[in-house]
Amino acid sequence: MLELKHVGKTYPHTVKRTLKDINLTIEEGEFICIVGPSGCGKTTLLNLVAGLEEPTKGEIFLDGVPVKGPGADRVVMFQEAALYPWLNVMDNVMLGMEFLGIPKEERKSRALKYLKMVHLSQFTEYPIHQLSGGMRQRVALARALSMDSKILLMDEPFSALDKQTTNMLRGELEQIWMKDHSKTILFVTHSAEEAVYFADRIVVLSENPGQIKEIIPCDLKRPRQIDDEAFVHLRHMLLESVKKEVVKFAREEYDEA
Amino acid sequence: MQEKSTTKLKKGLELALFFLLLIVLWQVLYLLFVDVFKVWKPYSAPSPAGVWSTFVNLLKSGVLLSALLKSLGRGGAGFALSVFAGLILGVLIHHFPYLNRNLKPVIMGMQTLPSICWVPFAILWFGLNNSAILFVVVMGSAFSVALAVDDGIKSVPPLYIKAAKTMGAGQRDLYLKVILPACVPSFIAALKQGWSFAWRALMSGEVMSSTVGLGQTLIIGRDMADINQVMLVMLVIIAAGVLIDKCIFTALENRVLRKRGLM
Ligand SMILES: Nc1ncnc2c1ncn2[C@@H]1O[C@H](COP(=O)(O)OP(=O)(O)OP(=O)(O)O)[C@@H](O)[C@H]1O
Ligand SMILES: [Mg+2]
Repeated sequence: MLELKHVGKTYPHTVKRTLKDINLTIEEGEFICIVGPSGCGKTTLLNLVAGLEEPTKGEIFLDGVPVKGPGADRVVMFQEAALYPWLNVMDNVMLGMEFLGIPKEERKSRALKYLKMVHLSQFTEYPIHQLSGGMRQRVALARALSMDSKILLMDEPFSALDKQTTNMLRGELEQIWMKDHSKTILFVTHSAEEAVYFADRIVVLSENPGQIKEIIPCDLKRPRQIDDEAFVHLRHMLLESVKKEVVKFAREEYDEA
Repeated sequence: MQEKSTTKLKKGLELALFFLLLIVLWQVLYLLFVDVFKVWKPYSAPSPAGVWSTFVNLLKSGVLLSALLKSLGRGGAGFALSVFAGLILGVLIHHFPYLNRNLKPVIMGMQTLPSICWVPFAILWFGLNNSAILFVVVMGSAFSVALAVDDGIKSVPPLYIKAAKTMGAGQRDLYLKVILPACVPSFIAALKQGWSFAWRALMSGEVMSSTVGLGQTLIIGRDMADINQVMLVMLVIIAAGVLIDKCIFTALENRVLRKRGLM
């Protein structure tokens, strides 16, 4: 269980609060999607849970223990791919498992398995700089999944991919998550469709300062069909909620000017 | 592949022609000012032919080769020492904030000091021998290596470190498998800079002392009023410094950068 209690964040050397009074309890095995306008603090929220940043207010508990620093139980898939340019595709995927102390043979077979899953098994020997942005994202996805962490923090993991690839990877990710329902996933996205596709609950953030505007429960039957009536309805609701937020903020900007 | 090697050949040819042009220009100037206008005395102006014949003589007698090898050996040893010292110093000033605040400015100051300033100390402490020269070389280049190492570690993208930490990397893994490889390009740049400082410092040291080497050969040229020999040794010093830089450090740098897609 992951608990955020009155979490606030103000970055040093800045005056404005990035996050304010975030209260959220996430059960084990839950799939949580986080949406909100650009710059509202979604990445910051993930970084706090990851332990890369410390909250300036409140506390975060993981199974009752306060979160202190990063760890392999909360693997992050960053908004930028965060791969290492001195390693090829295969070695990049294997490095994470190496940190975990997994023996070489297993590292290899697991890396291959996930590279196959993201359709990159032909590219194992490629240096990172010869991959496209979307290919890099898929390598990062393979690396994150291969670590098999209890909590997976994903920051717009499919943003650089085309529709077909996204659909395919959505299915794969959902299957991995459904397999034993023990993985907790926090998934940041800009796509309402994606949020409704995955989420058990959707957290809508509002901005300036970033705070929880509403939490939309989402209990459609899985696997979800995006043209299903209930799906469309929920997606519409979510879009409205986010849009109001953006419009409100735009008006504030306008009034100030 | 074919195209690449022909452009390489073209570039080489162009460079060779340029050097030929320089030599022709040199010869023309020599003829004009020494033979025609007689404003320069033959003993104060080197000529291409004179330098060439000195080159052939010194090569035949073996003096040039042994001086070059001695200098290179000494330069290599001094360079290795300064890289070792510079690496340790660089990591220390990076790791300890106290040293970064206080020792780093001192090192930056020391680095601005021309290496020849260390020669008096070197001679007092070590005498007119090999150790004195090594001392000058180390003082001349270790500080620049240290500063470059500090800079290199500092410029590792924070995202690399964050990603490793969230994948559970311990301090040891973090340094050996992420920070160190990430630093390789800047380390090579540090080596390159260190070498150019070391080679210059070496010549300051050799000129002052009396052991076999290029510096001493140059001074002998001066003592015998043989301006051609002085010129020849200068050319050899330049050529050796540049060749080592190009064949070792720049080649290494290009390989690493190419592998990472940075060029
Ligand atoms: N390291 C930092 N130092 C200071 N301010 C920061 C830092 N990182 C983020 N911010 C600020 O915090 C706010 C939220 O940033 P964050 O990256 O969390 O937004 P986001 O919701 O992920 O946006 P996007 O959807 O564009 O990725 C922004 O106003 C940003 O300027
Ligand atoms: Mg973000």
